[in-house]
Amino acid sequence: MREAVDDHWYPVGLLSGLEDTRKTLLLGREIAVGRNGAGVFVRDAAGRALPTVARFGHLWTSPGQPTRDLFTIPEADTPGRQLVDVGSVRVKCSPLRAVENFLDIAHFPFVHTDILGAEPHTEVERYQVDIREEVDEVWATEVKFFQPQAARSAEGGIKTEYMYRVPAPTCAVLYKTCPPRPGEWDVITLFVQPLTEEWCEVWPWMALYDDQSTMAEMVSFQQMIFMQDRSILENQIPRKLPLDPGMEVPTQADMTSVAYRRWLKRIGYTYGAQLVAA
Amino acid sequence: MGRLDFARCALLECVLRERGAVDWIAVGLSVDVPAGTVVPRRVNDTDMAIWCSAAGKLHAWGDRCPHRGMRLSHGFVRGETLSCIYHGWQYGMDGTCSYIPAHPQLEPPKTICARSYACNEQDQMIWVALAPTQAKTPDAEGRRPVRSLEITLPVAKVAEGLGHPMSSLMVLGGVYDLAVALQPSTQHSCVLHAFAGADQERKQVSRHLEKMRAELESADA
Repeated sequence: MREAVDDHWYPVGLLSGLEDTRKTLLLGREIAVGRNGAGVFVRDAAGRALPTVARFGHLWTSPGQPTRDLFTIPEADTPGRQLVDVGSVRVKCSPLRAVENFLDIAHFPFVHTDILGAEPHTEVERYQVDIREEVDEVWATEVKFFQPQAARSAEGGIKTEYMYRVPAPTCAVLYKTCPPRPGEWDVITLFVQPLTEEWCEVWPWMALYDDQSTMAEMVSFQQMIFMQDRSILENQIPRKLPLDPGMEVPTQADMTSVAYRRWLKRIGYTYGAQLVAA
Repeated sequence: MGRLDFARCALLECVLRERGAVDWIAVGLSVDVPAGTVVPRRVNDTDMAIWCSAAGKLHAWGDRCPHRGMRLSHGFVRGETLSCIYHGWQYGMDGTCSYIPAHPQLEPPKTICARSYACNEQDQMIWVALAPTQAKTPDAEGRRPVRSLEITLPVAKVAEGLGHPMSSLMVLGGVYDLAVALQPSTQHSCVLHAFAGADQERKQVSRHLEKMRAELESADA
């Protein structure tokens, strides 16, 4: 089972914010992350160099032997986008709970009130979810929801359309209607570094079409949203994500979360998961 | 809630009975949970959401929404219902889910329900029972509630320090005509809820209680 967890890529820092050496945790084990003359490095506690990838403004590493390259987000490469390094937030919850919350829209009216949702617009219409075997990813498409203020650049309420993608167990990508450019998708991601099974460092990152807001405004908008999420994530019982049915009760609106849990179980990703109903 | 929880509860009840039969446990003064509010309480390591409806009816529920495990004590009270703050799932007086905002047309299955515990208000104090009980809620005999104090000692140590066998309400008497109820919160801490004679001056009683706590904690140190 350990390979199933170790052989993935994990975010461990912002490329723009790398210091000489920073000690942090990855999957409960100490690592050192930093910059030296030759470039960037990640070392484990024994001083062994771990593989690195620089992508999406972040430094990625793996304690195991990844069988494939870190995923890509081709949409984020199209010119004219603002690439936003949001920074990081440490959260006392399972990395999997953080990802699952990111995939959820039904909480918008209650947690991000008057920003991403508002009563009485609470209904979640049926959408499409599938586990794409050929790429081994979870996708949700045709997700629609009413939003009072979908982004910094949005004025007034709009019905926003989304697609959600889980390209790795602790990463999620959201494609979202882009108010200034109909036909294009804004890209908002959540990259999660599992510090331990019940503690994580969350690195949101965005590639947006927005020529009105300053970088600071876009960062602070996303940080405000995530602070609201954190008040939920640190108060769920149990802290770990239950993968077995019975402990929690999903509805049709939770189809993405159901597929995510099923996929985690199928690929044997149990770090931060609770398997037996306690 | 699973079978294990019930088994654990039954076991807990046995242990409690052996220790001196505490059916009702005080969890706070009524004044601290006014109509339209919800607060968290820990009783014997069980997390509870204590809430008071708009009409003033008190409830003690397990502090966990069955949907995604969010603490119900972070929720909000509307009329005679408590809603979870995460997705707005609304629960009625009997603990069953009555409304799921993501699916306004759906009538939620009756199986979706919050764990509920017996909860009574008596002498302006809120009492809960972890297991079903026939016992009556303790009578403070005309005394008035004063305040609650957290004590970093196990409940048994506090009872011992007070020189009193453990019971739901322990009448200490004395100058202030005290009666205290101990709420075990964790294995290592408890909350003391105090009543005093109706004509006693609250501030003085409060100071006396703080002194009492300091003595109990330092005697154990």
